[in-house]
Amino acid sequence: MFHLLRRRLFTALPTLAAVIILSFGLMRVAPGGPFDGERPLDPATRDALMATYGLDRPLPEQIGLYLWRLAHGDFGPSLVYRDFSVTDLIAKGLPVSLTLGGWALLLAFVLGLAAGIIAAARSGTAIDRAIMFATTVLTALPSFVVGPLLALLFGLRLGWLPVSGWADGDAAHLVLPVIALALPYAGAIAKLARAGLASVLAQDHIRAARSRGLSATRILIVHALRPALVPVASYLGPAAAGLLTGAVVIETVFGLPGLGRYFVQGALNRDYPLVLGVVVIYATLIVLFNLIADLTYGWLDPRTRDA
Amino acid sequence: MTVFAAEGLTVDIGGRRIVHGIDCAIPAGRCLALVGESGSGKSQSCFAPFGLSVGVAGGSAILNGEQLVGASEARLRRLRGRDVGFVFQQPLTALTPHLTVGKMLSEAWRQAGAPRPGRAEMVAALERVGIEQAADRLDQYPHRLSGGQRQRVAIAMAIAHRPKLLVADEPTTALDAVLRADMMRLLDRLRAEEGMAMLLVSHDLASVADHADEALVLRDGRMIEAGPAPMLLRAPTSDYARALIAASPRLTDPPPPLGPVGPPLIEASGVSVSFERPGWRRGRVTAVDDAALTIAEGEALALVGRSGSGKSTLGRAIARLGPIDAGAVRFAGAPLPDRKAMRPADRAALQPVFQDPIASLDPLWRVADVIAEPLRNLQPDLDAAAVAAKVAAALAEVDLDPALADRRPAALSGGQAQRIAIARALIASPKMLLLDEATSALDTLVAGTVLDLLGRLQRTRGLSILMITHDLAVARRLCHRVAVIDAGRIIEEGPMEAVISAPRHTVTQKLVAASA
Amino acid sequence: MRLSLPLCLVALIALTALLGPFLIHWPYDAIDWNAVRAEPFAAGHVMGTDSVGRDLLARTLVGTRVTLGVATAAALVALIVGVAWGAVGGWCGGRIDEAMMRIVDALYALPFMFVVILLMVVFGRSILLVFIGIGLVEWLTMARVVRGQVLTLKNRPFALAAEAAGARPFAIVARHILPNLAGVAIAYLLLTVPQVVMIESFLSFLGLGVQEPMTSLGILIKDGADDMDVAPHALFLPGMVLIAILVCLTIAGEKLRDRMTA
Repeated sequence: MFHLLRRRLFTALPTLAAVIILSFGLMRVAPGGPFDGERPLDPATRDALMATYGLDRPLPEQIGLYLWRLAHGDFGPSLVYRDFSVTDLIAKGLPVSLTLGGWALLLAFVLGLAAGIIAAARSGTAIDRAIMFATTVLTALPSFVVGPLLALLFGLRLGWLPVSGWADGDAAHLVLPVIALALPYAGAIAKLARAGLASVLAQDHIRAARSRGLSATRILIVHALRPALVPVASYLGPAAAGLLTGAVVIETVFGLPGLGRYFVQGALNRDYPLVLGVVVIYATLIVLFNLIADLTYGWLDPRTRDA
Repeated sequence: MTVFAAEGLTVDIGGRRIVHGIDCAIPAGRCLALVGESGSGKSQSCFAPFGLSVGVAGGSAILNGEQLVGASEARLRRLRGRDVGFVFQQPLTALTPHLTVGKMLSEAWRQAGAPRPGRAEMVAALERVGIEQAADRLDQYPHRLSGGQRQRVAIAMAIAHRPKLLVADEPTTALDAVLRADMMRLLDRLRAEEGMAMLLVSHDLASVADHADEALVLRDGRMIEAGPAPMLLRAPTSDYARALIAASPRLTDPPPPLGPVGPPLIEASGVSVSFERPGWRRGRVTAVDDAALTIAEGEALALVGRSGSGKSTLGRAIARLGPIDAGAVRFAGAPLPDRKAMRPADRAALQPVFQDPIASLDPLWRVADVIAEPLRNLQPDLDAAAVAAKVAAALAEVDLDPALADRRPAALSGGQAQRIAIARALIASPKMLLLDEATSALDTLVAGTVLDLLGRLQRTRGLSILMITHDLAVARRLCHRVAVIDAGRIIEEGPMEAVISAPRHTVTQKLVAASA
Repeated sequence: MRLSLPLCLVALIALTALLGPFLIHWPYDAIDWNAVRAEPFAAGHVMGTDSVGRDLLARTLVGTRVTLGVATAAALVALIVGVAWGAVGGWCGGRIDEAMMRIVDALYALPFMFVVILLMVVFGRSILLVFIGIGLVEWLTMARVVRGQVLTLKNRPFALAAEAAGARPFAIVARHILPNLAGVAIAYLLLTVPQVVMIESFLSFLGLGVQEPMTSLGILIKDGADDMDVAPHALFLPGMVLIAILVCLTIAGEKLRDRMTA
């Protein structure tokens, strides 16, 4: 258990460092820079700008300087949004993305778990087959199809909910993006939960529990559910990554000022510090979710504590 | 008073009849043994009436005056929690992995309507089934317990609600040979103390005869013979029961004839093997420690030990099929090359047969290709007709139909698969066979015929054999000498009859007692 | 039985996408100035036209062809890299295996979509790069699955029996281990294709994938979504094709996987 955590931490930090260095290097070898706008700058101004942002120094020095500043919470200045530092932009975008992603994760978990448990409890019946077909369709639906469809139906045709904008986190503005983001993940979680439960329910200790006269509900909840959630927990890391990347699309579709839009804009404009800042934040979040998933294993299945 | 009675009890699975009518009655405090090979329907007969299998029960099965056949699941569930307790074959998987022993025990108690038990009561319950340091065990998860301890916890839970009937499905089969007698004594004692009736399911007629009052022999779902257990064992009336008893070897049987022995073939000395410690702790665990073995031409040596004693590791190290840290192995006077340097010709002289017959054969290969595999490496230029002829000869030598050559392993029975593994070993013309628990996964009758086949091959081909087993009685059917291994060290060695009649070491004494 | 139905459907879609463009009158990039945003069956356009008057059926067929082509190529890259990586790690074991799996673990923690986006931005937007990038993302799962299979298979008695029969390590891997894990690898290949389709359409949606006038399902869906309040039919056809491909391949892959690991 502690071994696992220690190992994860040991891989997490180099991973973060690798992400930063890789992204940094990639952006620098790219042809074209942030100041190659439509109107060419005169060389003197361009050099001055490069010097201001430290872009004229050798690459390792730039990386070192960046890491040093990062350790002090300074993501550097944005090259395109001249009046803002990257830290400011992240501070603006991150709450939006976290709110969206957090609610979507919660919805996906609750919905997926409920569907998975019902399907497993009614295994082999029409209910089971219907749920499983629905989850397959859900996982195969790209959020950029679901998003516009939901917006068309509930926003434009029925007029129940606003279709775009953030409005300072107004709940009504969140409903459609959260649903569009959550549905594919709810489907995946339902599948994993059902498969996990089905394999646990076929094990000997379930028959032993039945032989002691325990009720079906008690067996499902007390004796089967926890180990069955191990695959769901290990999906948490990839799901977090997926929710974040999926959010890029959802933020575009619903016009939300989240981190994903800054990333795409930053990448297209070659705004290095902004792109790097977002990548660092995302990588940290993914590593964090993997750690949380690892922590839950020991509780879900005590056998892994000794491994 | 009769606790459980069956009349014309049948079991159907998917519309197919598995059990064709069983009649029996168990009075309070008595034990009935249901004996049969795998697939005889013995487990189905005792689980289906209680709703614990996919099988559908028919006829009549009455527990404590209540008809089980046709009863609703809710009714059966209440009965399971009140009048009957179950003990299963696999103690390793019978306990819920994420609940502590105390939680499960307390749950078993409360579902029977009793108030939440105090710690002292639970400790007493565990001590009653022979668990040491019971107070500590209450807070432990099952995976920290040994197989024997887990089976004891399972028994404690099965009798927590003081059932009138205890159904025990092969309760000792998965346990170490040495523990089996202890476990049976525990069940006997609890039965006497509680006045429970007991339904004991077993594949081994001889071993249950001491514990059961009545025995019932099943074959292909039909009753073959029934009667008082000691009488059935001593004077069986059916051919089948007679064959079953004959096939399960006892140490009291007369010693079998064995072939002549020549000069030494294998000389292993100073063999040590260690593995990296599992988990996060660093360091290595010693599996075999400075072991020495000699096997002569035409001689069969039994390497006997409890599970985890290092017997398989030592056997594989000598045969160059497993890791080895140190030690010299000489074969016919010359040093045997290292595992990576073994050429096909070296391999051919020393062929293994493993425990799990089906897993020993590549599921995608035809039987003919499986048997011919050593030839492919040994004599790559042999033409197809010559290979086919040799494969047919090998199949004949192990008493199998040549038509099996076109089958895939999935379509074989366990006994057929093991004979094919033996044919594959023989086709290389080996001087020695390594038998790694080669008969312990087989049914009693099948295991008996495979043992007979091996004995015949050993005599006709003058083969040397290293037989790894936990069962002295089985080893005695084949082997001249025995070496007993415990905790990686060879603790006793000598001629088979001498060791059995006068075991010196306590582990050997226990192994002898377990096979007696 | 149930496995072949979804696979046949996908094959049918692929065949239609391959041959279809030769059978219809309109090229995918030709603009019909007389029929901008035409409804289905209007002015000789069976599925209507898009916002600049290009035939939607022709564009959907070509887009399907591009999307499926990119997905197949990327899934094959993932298959080759994943099987090789997993087989070497699983067979060698020990420190080599540990190091190789650590690399996989570390790559899993990368926000990979972003790396692909960065690659696209940095090196320009060629189809070749799209599928190499995606293939390099998707091999991780394959490597893990294959490694797990190799680990169990190499410890099965039949692998040991093959060694005793004098087979060299390479022969054991080639004759016993790889054939036995082929089924599982194919199942995961089928499951990888939908993933790749998803990523490709996702990139195209963000304007980072295939470039105009060439098209893909992702681009068509984005255009359709932009226009859906006035011309919902432009979203319908490519959306249905994409969903049909994804659902069929997912069902087929899962069925095969369950059959192979059962």
